[in-house]
Formats: sequence, structure tokens, C-alpha cells
Amino acid sequence: MTLSKEELEKRVSVLERKALREKKARQLAENQLEKYSLDIYEANQSLKAALAGSEQKQLELEYLAHTSSAVASEIPLREMVSNIVDLTGEFCCARYGLFVISEEGQWLTEKTPKVWISEQGWQENNAIKEFVTDLLPVSNNDLLASWRSAEIKNNELNESAPLNSIFYTNVAWSGKKIGWLAFLSQEAELNQDLEVILNTSKEHLVSGVRRRLTDIRILQRNVQLQDSISSLEKARRQLIQSEKMASLGQLAAGVAHEINNPIAFIRSNLEVLQDYLHDYKKLTSEVQTNLTEQTTLDTSQFSEMCKKIDLDYIEEDSEDLLKSNIEGLDRVKEIVDNLKGFSHAGDEALVATSLNNCIQSALKIAGNMFKYEHKVINNISAECPPVLGNSGQLQQVFVNLFVNAAHAMEKGGVLTIDYTHIKEGVVLHIQDTGCGMDKETVNQLFTPFFTTKPVGIGTGLGLSVSYAILEAHGAQVSVDSQLNLGTTFHIKFPTID
Amino acid sequence: MKGIVFVKFNEFVEELWGEEFWDTLLDEAQLSSEGIYTTVGTYDDEELFTLIGLVVEQKNISPKDAQFAFGKWVFKELLNAAPAGAHNFKDVFEFLHAVQDFIHVEVKKLNPDALLPEFEFLSETPNTLTFLYQSPRNLCYFCEGIVHGLAEHTGQTVEVSQTECQHQGDSRCVMEVVKV
Ligand code: HEM
Repeated sequence: MTLSKEELEKRVSVLERKALREKKARQLAENQLEKYSLDIYEANQSLKAALAGSEQKQLELEYLAHTSSAVASEIPLREMVSNIVDLTGEFCCARYGLFVISEEGQWLTEKTPKVWISEQGWQENNAIKEFVTDLLPVSNNDLLASWRSAEIKNNELNESAPLNSIFYTNVAWSGKKIGWLAFLSQEAELNQDLEVILNTSKEHLVSGVRRRLTDIRILQRNVQLQDSISSLEKARRQLIQSEKMASLGQLAAGVAHEINNPIAFIRSNLEVLQDYLHDYKKLTSEVQTNLTEQTTLDTSQFSEMCKKIDLDYIEEDSEDLLKSNIEGLDRVKEIVDNLKGFSHAGDEALVATSLNNCIQSALKIAGNMFKYEHKVINNISAECPPVLGNSGQLQQVFVNLFVNAAHAMEKGGVLTIDYTHIKEGVVLHIQDTGCGMDKETVNQLFTPFFTTKPVGIGTGLGLSVSYAILEAHGAQVSVDSQLNLGTTFHIKFPTID
Repeated sequence: MKGIVFVKFNEFVEELWGEEFWDTLLDEAQLSSEGIYTTVGTYDDEELFTLIGLVVEQKNISPKDAQFAFGKWVFKELLNAAPAGAHNFKDVFEFLHAVQDFIHVEVKKLNPDALLPEFEFLSETPNTLTFLYQSPRNLCYFCEGIVHGLAEHTGQTVEVSQTECQHQGDSRCVMEVVKV
């Protein structure tokens, strides 16, 4: 098929236009391709930046997590701050870091002047320490709200690579002291993002230090409290002891009587014995004379002589007298022993203790308060189960109660001591038939310095001290009292498990 | 619309009616792209509608037939450009599911500015599949054509019709594909 010239020309121009479109399309496509690769490149770049950013964020988070867990930990304050220096130096890629304390514009000298050194840890390095402390504005004595950084010149340090900046901050330390953290770095200045992170960790540090210092203060306060508790405890013991001595004072007259009595009869016994000895001497000298004059002595003569001085009786009575003297002395010794035991301060340990023994020795000490117009019925026996107690202190309580009972029964009466064994323990009942008390008095019975006795008799502390002692024994006290009929104290001791 | 559709439409028209015809179409259409299409570019939808409109006018065929024919023709071309996995499907229904679930998804990944139709499958028996064609472009006849092209590719014979069509005043386009 042949085409006319016109047709050919038309065809050519159609194809030319087509070719032109193709060419332009190729150009467009190439441009598009370039644009794509540029897009890809840029996407890559921003991905890389994002990755680096997220790695940095990761480091920042790690740093913050580590610092805040160091701050929250219970390690000692100085160790905690050292940790923070460590972490911060590492995080900021600093070369040196240190922590120093100032007070009123002056540096405090440290026992161990160590400096944190990158990749080496804590080392002594006075040059760095002096260099840094000279740079810090210690004389301002101000607390810094954030981190500061400054350019530095440090030709004198002989560093292989120059140190270009210092960054530092401070926190309130105990009292008027200020703690400083400072770092030397190769970077020219502290990068802003880093500064934000450092300020966050600084806030943690400030609150952590504050918390620890209050902890320390609370600890000190505790120690003080402990001290005052122990001095109170000492005072309490002294009070118990002096109250005991005071009740001894009250007992003194009776005790003296108790001692005087045997001494008096021992003395008169000795006088009689002296007379007997005299008679005996007379007998022996008579026997002597008789033997010299007559060289013999017959039995009847000797019995005559013996009869004259009633030797049989003398011998018999002497034995009685000596026995009675020994008994008397034993009694005195026993009383003295009891008194000694009673007045002895002793320790406060609670051990298994027999109430029976305690009551008996208390009765020995206070017994002379009860005269012939009194009757004492003690129904406590060895069967009474032991309780956890301190026998010295329990004796003191019982003496106190017995003395009170005696005082309440001035015109005579009966003191009955009894016990009931119950499931939870032992209840002692100490009953007198004295004057009794009205309700008001009963209510105030255990109040310190409350006394119904006239001035000079009793300290008014007796029962309150007894009450304190019984409380320490875990014992419960209750009182039944009726005016003019008498009073019963019930003391419940817990059983020993 | 992605450049591939224009480039393929260009090829389709030239194949049927020659380069000269395409040249006159462009001359008349006065497109802002001047008909310089590349597969990597994206062009105004209107240009395609203008070109189809001109073909319809000059060749005196219905818009439906034009779209249908192009769709049927273009399938093999799209398949060439399709992700490798697209060749694994041997059944029309299977393929149609894959277009929605996989092929158009991959297309979208490569061309984030592509606007692909959404298919919502309504019912399926071994021989009949109905699905909703949803696109602001309303190229449902084009879609019918593609399904025919697809059936050619799988070697199956199908009848494609629309039980509902927006062009017929319905509110949506429901495609029914029946294997025969
Ligand atoms: C062979 C694999 C396929 C590939 C690679 C492919 C790819 C594409 C691409 C690139 C577009 C243009 C989208 C735009 O520019 O916004 C398109 C549109 C379209 N595709 Fe597919 N496609 C394939 C299979 C199918 C099949 C089997 C159907 C039929 C059901 C179909 C129906 C359509 C329709 C109707 C459009 C027109 C756009 C619209 O309606 O909004 N495609 N496709």
C-alpha cells in the first residue's frame, strides 16, 4: 500500500508527535525516578536520624531509670551520690567527674579525695580536684536551680586531648552544707537535650538527698527518744528502789523490835549463864580446896557441893539457854537476810517464781506490823503454781499490800491470803478486815502521790509503784472494798506457757 | 488514576484504531498532560473520562461497550504488572477474592496514591459469586470487562451481569459472576 505524500507527511508528523510524547514521558519518568530515589534517600536519612534519636532516648531513659533507682535505693548517701556521678559522667561522656562538699563558701576537706575518671572509675587525683574546685563558684553559697556549663582553659593539666568545658550543679546537703557535682568534658558546651535530662535527674537527686537527710534526722530523733526512754526506765527503777527503801523505813521500827526482842532475851540469857558460870567456878574452887586440905573427896561430899549450887538445874538450863540463844541469833540473821534481800535492787528479769516463797518472805519482813490483836491466815501453799516474775519486785508489792492492810486494821483484824487457780492463771486474794475505802479512794488508789495516810507516813507512791510492777508482770489488779468492812485485792497472774 | 491505566488505554486505542486516531484524540482532548503518560505517574481521572468520551463519540459505540472492551483487554496487561503471587490463582472466584485481599493491597503499597475499588462479597456458591463494586469512579462496566479478561486468563467461561447498577438508577452496583 502506497501512501500519498500528504498522507506520508501526516503519518510522519503523527509519529513525530508520538516520539516527542515518548521522549517527554521518558524524561518525566526519569524525573520521577530521581524524585523517588531522593525520597528514598531522605526517608533513609530521617529513619537514621529517628534511629539515632531513639537510641539516644533509650540511653536517656536508661540513665534516668538508673539514677532514679539509685536515688530511691537504701544505699548510704555518699555511695548513692558516687553512683550518680558515675552514671552522669558515663551518660555525658565526660572525662572527669567529682562530688565535693562546701560549707559557708569553704570547701570541706575529704577523707578520700577521689575523682571519677572515664574508663578508670574512682581514683585519687588532686590536680583535677583542685582544678575543678577552683572553677566552681563556691563563695556564692547559692543553690543552683539547674546545671551550669562553662568553657575552660586547661593547659596546665597536660591532658592528651583538651578538656573544653565544665558543667556542674549543686544540692542542699545537711545543715548549711552544699554538695557539688562537677564534670569536665571534651565537648565545648553542654548540649541542650542533655541539659534537660540532667536537670530531671538533678531534681530526683535533690529530693532523694532531702529524703535521706530527713531519714537521718528521724534516726537521730529516734536515738534521742531511745535515750530518753532508757533514762526514764532508769528513773523508774530508781523510783521502785527508793519506794522500797521508803517502805523499809516504815518497817524499820517493827524490824528493830523484831531484832531487839531476841537480842534482849539473848542478853538476859547470857546474864543467867554468867551467873551459872560463877556458880560453877565456885564449885570447882570448893572442890580444889577440899582436895588440897583432905587429899580425898568422897562422892557424898561432892554431891553435897553440887546440890548446894543446884548443878543439875544449871546444866539443864544452860543447855536450854544456849539453844534459845542460837535460835534467837538465827532469827536475827534471818531477818537481816530478808531485809538484805528485799533492799537489794536486783535485776528485772522475769523467771518462774513461786508466789508461796514471795508471800512468805514478805510476811517475814512485814509480819511485825501485825500485833497480837491481828491474825494472819496464809492459805498459800507450795501447790500454788509458779508465775513468771521477779521475786524481789513481787516481795515489794506484797510488803506494800501487807503494810497497807496493817495500817487499815489499826484496832486489830484478820489478814487472809489465798489464791484460786483458774484456766488463764493464778489469782491471789489479799483480804483485810480493816477500815475499807470509799469508791473515790478506790478510784485514786493507783494514782501516784495519792495517799490517805498522814504526812510523814508513806510516800503516796507505794501502790502506784506496785501497780507498775504488776503491770510489767502482765498481772491485772482489781480491788473490792467496803467502808468499815475491809478490802480485798485480787491479783491475776498469767500462767506460764 | 495511575499512569498504567492511561498508558494501557493508549496502547489499547492504538492497537484497535491506530496511532493516528490516538493523535487526533489527543489533539481534540486538549489535556493538561498533553497525553504524555508514564506508568510511574498519576493523572487526573477526568482525562481518562474525556478520552473514553471521545472514543465513544467518534466510533459511535456505547460508553458501556467501550469500558467493557478496555477492561477485558487490559486484564492481561495488569496481570503482567501484578505481584508474582497473582499468577498462582487458577480460578476466577479465587482470583476475585485475591484482588480484594491481596493484589489491590499490594498495588496500594507500591502506589500509595492509587484509589482502588472495594469489593464486598455478598454470596458465593460453586458456580455463582456476587459482590458489591464500590468506587467513586463508578467504573462498573470496566470491572465487568476485567472479569471477562480474567476468565480468559484462567480458561473458564463466565457470564458477568449486574443485578443492581448505579447507572440503572440503583443505589449500588452488584456484580454477579456465573461460571458456565
Ligand atoms: C491482575 C491483577 C490486578 C492488578 C495488578 C490491578 C491493578 C490496578 C491498578 C493499578 C488500578 C488503578 C488504580 C488507580 O490508579 O487508582 C486498578 C484499578 C481497578 N481495578 Fe484492578 N488490578 C488487578 C486485577 C483486577 C481485577 C481482577 C478486577 C476485577 C474485579 C479489578 C478491578 C479494578 C477496577 C474496577 C479498577 C478501576 C478503579 C476503580 O474502579 O476505582 N482489578 N487495578
